[in-house]
Amino acid sequence: MKTPPLLLFAALLFWGWLSDFLWAGLALGVILELPRLVKFRWELDDADFNRIFSFCIVLNGVLLGYVLTHTTTVALENPSHGNTLLATTNADAQAAARFPCWLPMTFFPFMAVQVFNIRQSVPLTAISFVLRWRRRMGDRAFAGRYVDFSFPYFIICVFAASTNPPGGSRDYYFVGLYVLAVWALWSIRPQRYRFGTWVAALAAMALFGVVGIYGLHSAQAGIQSFNASLIQRFLVNHTDPLQTTTSMGRIGRLKLSAKIVIRLEPHELGRYPSYLREASYRNYLAPKQEWLNVGAIHEFVPISPNTNGSTWTLLPGKKNSDIVNIACYLDSRTPEGDPAGLLPLPPGSGMLENLPVFALKVNHTGSAFASGPGLVIFDAHYGPGTSIDAPPDLDATNRYDLTVPTNEFAAVQSAIAEMNLPAGSSEEEKMRAVEKFFLDKFTYSTWQGPDKRMDTNGTPLTKFLMTSRSGHCEYFASATVLLLRGLDIPARYAVGYYVHEPHGPGYVVRERDAHAWCLVWRENKKCWEDFDTTPSSWVGIESARTHWDDWLADMTSWVHFQFAKFRWRQANFQQYIFWSLVPVLLVLLWHIIFRRRGKLRAQTAKNQGAAAVVRPGLDSEFFQLEKQLAARGVPRQAGENFSDWLERALSERSLRDLRAPLHGLLRLHYRYRFDPDGLNAEQREELRRKSADTLQKITSSPPSSRS
Amino acid sequence: MKFLYRRIYWSYRKSSGLWYWARRRLTPAGWAVGIALVVTAAIGTDIENKVTYELFALLLSLAVFAMNSGFSFRARFSATRILPRVGTAGRPLYYKITVKNLTLKSQTGLMVLEDLADPRPTFAEWLAFHNAEDRRYPAFRVSERKTRNPFHIANVKSAGLPPLPARGEAEADGEVFPLRRGILKFESITVARPDPFGLFRAFIRVPAPQTMLILPRRYPLPEIALPGALRYQEGGVALAAHVGASEEFVALRDYRHGDPLRHIHWRSWAKTGKPIVKEFEDEFFVRHALVLDTFDEEPNSDVLEEAVSVAASFACTILTQESLLDLLFVGNQSYCFTAGRGLAHADQMLEILASVKNCADKPFSVLESLVMNHVTVVSGCICVFQKWDGPRKKFVEKLKALGLPLLVLIVVPPGGGFSGAGGDFTDAEGSIHVLEIGKIEEALARLK
Repeated sequence: MKTPPLLLFAALLFWGWLSDFLWAGLALGVILELPRLVKFRWELDDADFNRIFSFCIVLNGVLLGYVLTHTTTVALENPSHGNTLLATTNADAQAAARFPCWLPMTFFPFMAVQVFNIRQSVPLTAISFVLRWRRRMGDRAFAGRYVDFSFPYFIICVFAASTNPPGGSRDYYFVGLYVLAVWALWSIRPQRYRFGTWVAALAAMALFGVVGIYGLHSAQAGIQSFNASLIQRFLVNHTDPLQTTTSMGRIGRLKLSAKIVIRLEPHELGRYPSYLREASYRNYLAPKQEWLNVGAIHEFVPISPNTNGSTWTLLPGKKNSDIVNIACYLDSRTPEGDPAGLLPLPPGSGMLENLPVFALKVNHTGSAFASGPGLVIFDAHYGPGTSIDAPPDLDATNRYDLTVPTNEFAAVQSAIAEMNLPAGSSEEEKMRAVEKFFLDKFTYSTWQGPDKRMDTNGTPLTKFLMTSRSGHCEYFASATVLLLRGLDIPARYAVGYYVHEPHGPGYVVRERDAHAWCLVWRENKKCWEDFDTTPSSWVGIESARTHWDDWLADMTSWVHFQFAKFRWRQANFQQYIFWSLVPVLLVLLWHIIFRRRGKLRAQTAKNQGAAAVVRPGLDSEFFQLEKQLAARGVPRQAGENFSDWLERALSERSLRDLRAPLHGLLRLHYRYRFDPDGLNAEQREELRRKSADTLQKITSSPPSSRS
Repeated sequence: MKFLYRRIYWSYRKSSGLWYWARRRLTPAGWAVGIALVVTAAIGTDIENKVTYELFALLLSLAVFAMNSGFSFRARFSATRILPRVGTAGRPLYYKITVKNLTLKSQTGLMVLEDLADPRPTFAEWLAFHNAEDRRYPAFRVSERKTRNPFHIANVKSAGLPPLPARGEAEADGEVFPLRRGILKFESITVARPDPFGLFRAFIRVPAPQTMLILPRRYPLPEIALPGALRYQEGGVALAAHVGASEEFVALRDYRHGDPLRHIHWRSWAKTGKPIVKEFEDEFFVRHALVLDTFDEEPNSDVLEEAVSVAASFACTILTQESLLDLLFVGNQSYCFTAGRGLAHADQMLEILASVKNCADKPFSVLESLVMNHVTVVSGCICVFQKWDGPRKKFVEKLKALGLPLLVLIVVPPGGGFSGAGGDFTDAEGSIHVLEIGKIEEALARLK
């Protein structure tokens, strides 16, 4: 099935016009139509086609690597870090999405060798690596089957033309496509149908096509009417800076996975933050066991990066004593669909370096909300002292940082009484007493029995403080915050991760390391400090829940991390991949060009070697006689044996006398050539001598007529 | 585990059924449209950034229109095929198909397709095959595993049908390429009509059940001097040149009780006065038995196929030479063809060999005792084994001990070499030959 004349030319021109490669399309089209005018042809075998197709595939791989790793430069009227990065990322994504647009160029060598080959088709095994493998394994089912690549190439051209964004010349895509389709279908139409029927079928096809396009547009509009971010909210479990619902009061065992969610690498060995905080909350809603932020404190304020675009100063002028490199995922989405999320930050973070995000916003409860790539790897500069958290609202009327909800008030007061704190205890003594209270009288448990359930007898937290006295970190953190507040110490509820598991040069944080603790205001230092009363045994209990296949989960997490690094361009190995393909391409080129030549040389050498061994008697003098007789006008025909030819040659009257000696010589010649025992020295000499005599006689006798 | 296998078998049946349907229904252009439709469906969802969805819409309308018109082919035909009696595996088979138009409307641009009986195995057969394959190849050696499909029995080519006038008939050239020996079952003949775009075919199926025997592949054999001594054949020349007494007159002798009356020489009786009979030369000739080993657990092994081919090569070739090969031992059956020295029983032998299957439920000793029962009437034996182990070695030693000349051919898998459990064997006469699959033709050519 071959394309009609000029169809490929038209398809390439169409592709070139829509893809802004008009001249390239024109040139490629002319080259492919050239064989109709010139007689030049190649003679390529199946192996050559295999190599050329492999070359095209590698070319596609290189091009894909290039478009994935290439960074587009975008010029904006009002450039800022965020919109420039966003525009660059979008431009890169569009460039990568336009990769199929290059397919007519990358498959052109294969198409060209078909049209310039003597056999105007390609072996079926060339275009399928599976078939090649099957053939190598001895499957001969596809051997000798050839296909015409021109129609697939035509489809590649119209497909490539379609991968451009709408607008401009692309608005005429359907019209051009329809014309080309009619042209192509005309060449393969069955002869049994009348012209009118065929035209009616084409019209129906066009009508269906247009209806289909409008249908797809409507479907797209319908899908877009859903709020993507709303859907995302239900799908992705992420920390909300506004509120957090605890698991207190629920029945069952808390189970979190061993999936690695954060990787840390301290710049100085051993100096790493124990806590990575994502958010903190002031207000506790006892009936719902919810922590939330009421008022304007949670509102995010955007901050601008430094001049380099990737350094974000959170606390100007703060001296940060330590640096830790953090890699984490941004696994929720902005309404625009960009990845976004809260950054897990060490306490007292003052500056974030090498943070490649579009925008960063912070609020006064210590949350930093970033939107950018799905994976961010940055250096957090941190140290003791001030943080981005607002100081407690001691002067305000609400005094949220000291509020104990009414539902929990009795239990809190009872617990404080149980601590037997002497009147006038210092802030330090109160904190130690609270710590000791939990340490002595409470145990860690992830099991939540019915005794902790909320009922008319009290809230889960009240039951925790008064009766059950065992629970997980949310109980301890919530109870600690309320107890400290009961003791007139401002406190907040913090959520994030606890860092404890060394891994390679740094540390890893798993999903099960998610933790809740308390922030306590140190009046003397004028700063918030982490205060964790959860028994330290919780780390051991959580770690003991390892499973035999955790290594597999670690490996999966690592692969996911590396892929995310590649996808979100947080590593340089895109370039390595790209450059690593170059040697592959060179090796393939070498294979295509030189291997065949080497093979031919080896074959020639083999043939020459074989000739020396298996073809004796080539020096027979009878060949001179043959040459002489041929010169008299009786050449031996291809495929004619000596005996028949001699009869023909001896029909000349003047040579009749030579019949007997010539036949005798022929017998000797045959024996010399084909008898395994060959001729002995005497017979060989006889052949030589008699041949010379006969040759002399032939030369001396004048040519005569034939009988 | 069986549940899992059932699921896999179910998906195998569904996927192979879908593949069969698509291969027959779609034209090459239809394949191109189908593949492009799948690709554009995957990419065309991005309506905002690409216009691929327009290509998708057009291809979809093409495909829907083509398929829709493909289900509305109204015509009536009758069809017959003229098949040869037998075919040979690995050799194309040409025959004629006659299609008659039973309506008053002429038809053009039609094609004819053959419908063979569903060759797909039952679950038990499929499971047995896959278990055998798993035993044969070490786990995870994907690169070593050869893709085999023993259930694919033939390739059928579609044929173009000349224009069919109203109430007229036309002849198409059918071609079948049998891949395996056995019974090839034809079920019906399908008359196909393409849609206006030439993408999809509409079918009308005409029942035409027929069967044909596909004989095993055969290898050319050199002039082989088969081992064996001349042996007196009871019944004389009845087994030799033709049915009846030999013309080879030797002498006259006195009548002995039991001599046939037709041998009485009446003139001599008249002269001597006592009954004299003519004495004819006793018939001595080499009579060989062909023993085919079919005792192996693997149901669809290549070794069996090659062993059958080797046996068939002998069955065909030896008859044209000086010896007589008319005894066949296969499985637990023996066959004796006493039709004479013609070629008729070669056909019968091939027909038996065409239907041979491996026998997994009986031991090799069954064949051994069968051959031993007939050993007195044979002067030589050609044994084709699938492996070399203790029982086979013992069998060969027994035959040798009886003084029976042997030609033993052991078929082994490719690259497997000869590593039978039977261990080393004494083969002073050079009568044991190992035939490696893939090099069998060469090995047979070296036989003397």
